[in-house]
Amino acid sequence: MTCPICAYKNLSYPPRDYNICPCCSTEFGNDDAVYSHRQLLGMWIAGGANWFFGRAPEHWNPWLQLIQGGLGMYVPAQFGAPYINFQLVANSANVEPAIVTNRPNAYGSLALAA
Amino acid sequence: MLKPYVCVACEKVIVAQDGVASLIALFSKIILTVPAGTEIPPNAVAPKEWAVFSIWDPEPGDERRNYFLCTQILYPDESQFGQITRSKFNIEVNKRSQMTLQVQGFPIGQTGEYTILSWVEENEKKVSDPIQFGIEVIINFAASPAGAAT
Repeated sequence: MTCPICAYKNLSYPPRDYNICPCCSTEFGNDDAVYSHRQLLGMWIAGGANWFFGRAPEHWNPWLQLIQGGLGMYVPAQFGAPYINFQLVANSANVEPAIVTNRPNAYGSLALAA
Repeated sequence: MLKPYVCVACEKVIVAQDGVASLIALFSKIILTVPAGTEIPPNAVAPKEWAVFSIWDPEPGDERRNYFLCTQILYPDESQFGQITRSKFNIEVNKRSQMTLQVQGFPIGQTGEYTILSWVEENEKKVSDPIQFGIEVIINFAASPAGAAT
């Protein structure tokens, strides 16, 4: 189950009946009776988007969680969103597949569109 | 045992009905241009969709195995970004297996060479050596226009 506020994917209990999200600390049925989901998300982010209960899962990243949950538009500017230019560079000299063999391809040629 | 045939990073993978994959915009380097004075936090993630695409050669009997493709992304300092993803192989007899891992964001908290590692697991045990390639992240700071308020 996914938290409707912070997009944490592994809620142990459904987001209702006073269960609490271990990530953003929302108490469902209480906090979301007072504030909208967007308001609660904004408050969590404004507070630093920290993990709430116990230790965060290993390698947990709040901004990746929001992006993966379709909430990337709420990632604050300095944490990833509005860089004025994001350029992917494919230098022919630099793009080397990790492994390529000369064996024939069962699918036919690999079409590469640059 | 599955053998790697190709493994690359690209912006998008389109698979036609006949199974042929088109890889859109392969890349090995990302250049970010940010306003001068911007400090990028170490856990920053650019909401940029990209993909790790790989093709694997099966051997007879592999179609009965329970193989998973694992992919790990490492920062330049070799710490891990996000979780290791595990995707089950769908192996058909005498057919190469194509795997696409779609990633929604790219970590930008460090500059330098990020490492993408992929390997095969069965029953949660590594059964192949990892294959790896690098993606370099460069951050340029754009100068503020003269006289512009900051």
